[in-house]
Amino acid sequence: MTPEAREGNIFTSSLDFLVNWGRKNSLWPFPYGTACCAIEFMSTETARYDLSRIGSEYVRFTPRQSDVLLVAGTITYKQAPILKRIYEQMAEPRWVIAMGACACSGGFYDCYCTVPGIDHIIPVDVYIGGCPPRPESFFDAMFDLQKKVEDESYMKQRAERLKDQIEDIKRKSKECREDLILRKNEACEMVSNTVRSKVNDVLDVFPFKKGR
Amino acid sequence: MKVIAPNGDKLNLMPLNVGPSHGATHGCLRYFCALDGESIVATVGEIGYLHRGFEKMAERGTWQQVVPYTDRLNYCSAMMNNIAYCRAVENMFQMELPERTKILRVIINELSRMADHCICVAAAAQDLGSTTGFFYLFDSREMMMVIWEKLTGARLTNSYSRIGGLYRDTYDGFEEDVLAVCKQAEKNLRDVHACFDRNRIFLDRTVGIGAMKPERAIQWGWTGPCLRATGVASDLRKDEPYYDYETYDWNVVTGTAGDVYDRLMVRLAEIEESIKIVRQALKRLTPGPIDIMDPRIRVPSHALAYQDIESLIGRFKSVYEGVRVPAGEYYCGSEAANGELGFTLVSDGSGKPWRVKVRPPCFTQFAAFQELVEGSMLTDSVATLSSINIIAGELDR
Amino acid sequence: MNFFETLFPVLETKFNVEKDASAHWDHSVIAKASVLRDLIIFLRDDESSKMEMLLDVVGIDYLGFQDYEGPRFAVEYVFKSISHPGRRVRVKVFVSEQDLEVPTISDLYPIANWQEREVYDQYGILFKDHPDLRRILNHVEFEGHPLRKDYPAHRRQWLSTNDFLLPALEKRLESKGYKVVQHSKEVLPNEDEYLTGSIQE
Repeated sequence: MTPEAREGNIFTSSLDFLVNWGRKNSLWPFPYGTACCAIEFMSTETARYDLSRIGSEYVRFTPRQSDVLLVAGTITYKQAPILKRIYEQMAEPRWVIAMGACACSGGFYDCYCTVPGIDHIIPVDVYIGGCPPRPESFFDAMFDLQKKVEDESYMKQRAERLKDQIEDIKRKSKECREDLILRKNEACEMVSNTVRSKVNDVLDVFPFKKGR
Repeated sequence: MKVIAPNGDKLNLMPLNVGPSHGATHGCLRYFCALDGESIVATVGEIGYLHRGFEKMAERGTWQQVVPYTDRLNYCSAMMNNIAYCRAVENMFQMELPERTKILRVIINELSRMADHCICVAAAAQDLGSTTGFFYLFDSREMMMVIWEKLTGARLTNSYSRIGGLYRDTYDGFEEDVLAVCKQAEKNLRDVHACFDRNRIFLDRTVGIGAMKPERAIQWGWTGPCLRATGVASDLRKDEPYYDYETYDWNVVTGTAGDVYDRLMVRLAEIEESIKIVRQALKRLTPGPIDIMDPRIRVPSHALAYQDIESLIGRFKSVYEGVRVPAGEYYCGSEAANGELGFTLVSDGSGKPWRVKVRPPCFTQFAAFQELVEGSMLTDSVATLSSINIIAGELDR
Repeated sequence: MNFFETLFPVLETKFNVEKDASAHWDHSVIAKASVLRDLIIFLRDDESSKMEMLLDVVGIDYLGFQDYEGPRFAVEYVFKSISHPGRRVRVKVFVSEQDLEVPTISDLYPIANWQEREVYDQYGILFKDHPDLRRILNHVEFEGHPLRKDYPAHRRQWLSTNDFLLPALEKRLESKGYKVVQHSKEVLPNEDEYLTGSIQE
């Protein structure tokens, strides 16, 4: 047994801390790069700036495996539905960074074809100004996002989700019960109707004198 | 999708959509292909996902205000677009630029060309799975970015050129920085060639893939490195020289087969030629004025505006009314990194452009994309797409 | 001697073209829409010009242009020669607002297909016999033509769902000699089925 182990290699912490620590240091981005900002994002990935310092070097090109939707570049009306669909395909928890003036507000393309800011379509967590922003400001945004992730409570979210689910179950079971009672009544009515008709049939076969 | 092939076979094709937000579609373009197994039978391309209304925006401002918009056309070599636009307008004035401006523009043009080719080949390498090549090429590009920052204050979208001159003169130590970049780029090129030249995977995925015949390329309107890769030695810097390109000692690089390999190698070789031009141009660089002395065109400097009233008025007039370009119509093409970048300008003699139409070089290349990939495998379409260097900002404007 | 000075009299006698007075810095001719195709075939194939490359098709709207009277639109074709480097010529056709029709040259130059689609998209000029005249830069639900001078720059139009490319793909397959057994149902953009994005068998 090593001395470290003998001394009790245990520490206590909250589950929130542990989960957030893991989440914030492995934010995998989905680069929805459309224009100039995507080139700056490429520079951010290279050796000089090195995005892997904060564990985000693993760029995923599928929304289902990524945590951060990085919208880098102008969003036009033609691709607005696509962006929305990609956001909807991402699994919770998900965050969105609007990189550059165009994604934040449409930039200086104040025109018939440019969406004036992606927050018309999807919720945004961090905005980065600049046309295009420098890699340093991208890092700044990532640090901001990490702080935001840190503040989130996994347990609280889970409790809320559970509460919703329990209420959902309660509501459904109540509906089911009401439905059951309704069906029971219907069934009883149906049974009594059948019995009555059967009795009538019998009466038809063996007619009794009425009014006896 | 059930079809009957021309030879009578019954096929069940699978329609597959690629893009617009796919890792291999740089920027956002989309192609929709019918697959038989893994080979592409037919494909249609769809563009316009980054249509930002450049032409409408250009009509709203003055002639000088178009310059920042041209930055965002081909954002990999932004200053080259500025220069191409300013050259078109300057030709309408038929003005003669100062010697220093011409040489500086040549240096900046060639450095931008190097940066653009670096991005194209780096992204192609990344798509083919070679991350090492990507890092090598971005290394020298990052050094250029430092020069841009010192020179213009911005990394990517610089807006350095103005109608009738440049934004400002160079800083102390510009020459040494440029020479250092040239040296570093040569070193990185050697490294990249070491990565690619005898690499079996790279050769298997690029040689003979996406080939184009020279006659067909001309019909499709291809220009630039893609046309030169098919063997046509067409370069505006040689054919219709501007900025004294004919006095520099350099060669037009051509390929033979017009396939993916040729297109990438032509770009790498053009970086070497650009380094040659930059070195010669640096030797010619002598101190002198960078703006033409005409207050109707070039804004008088701050120093002058604080001293006399005429220059102050000149500053106001040039901001509010803009440059009054003589009425008429003109098409002017310049050799940008991707091919011939042309501007069709219509002026009605007022301070605002009536119509600015860009002739984007990669529009023609993407239009021919279906011919390149039909009959090849789906994976080859990725290699082909990265080799023709589609820049969405320029494609859709 | 300038090549245009020898070329222009030939064009003038053959196709009755005029010199464009607004082209002070390069060479441009104004042609009638009826002779456009013949003129372009001549420019492409004749030894004296050899304009093998079509660089651009430009639409121009002259609504409100200073001291201008004439048809509202113009389409301009920019040509360049590869065999004789340095030779360029532009051909301009005026299009009035009433008929809005120009013959297509997409069979002469394959690139004209997309460039004409762009002019149609931005200005609404129709190209007669064009194989596939769809919008290219703007989305399918877009109404109006944005680069016309009377289109306000700020009139924004939302798109409800993505474009439907299957009919275009089938057209492409058929042009390659394939026979599509079962066509996918072409749905209008405003129908509910389109909005769900289902590709119908």
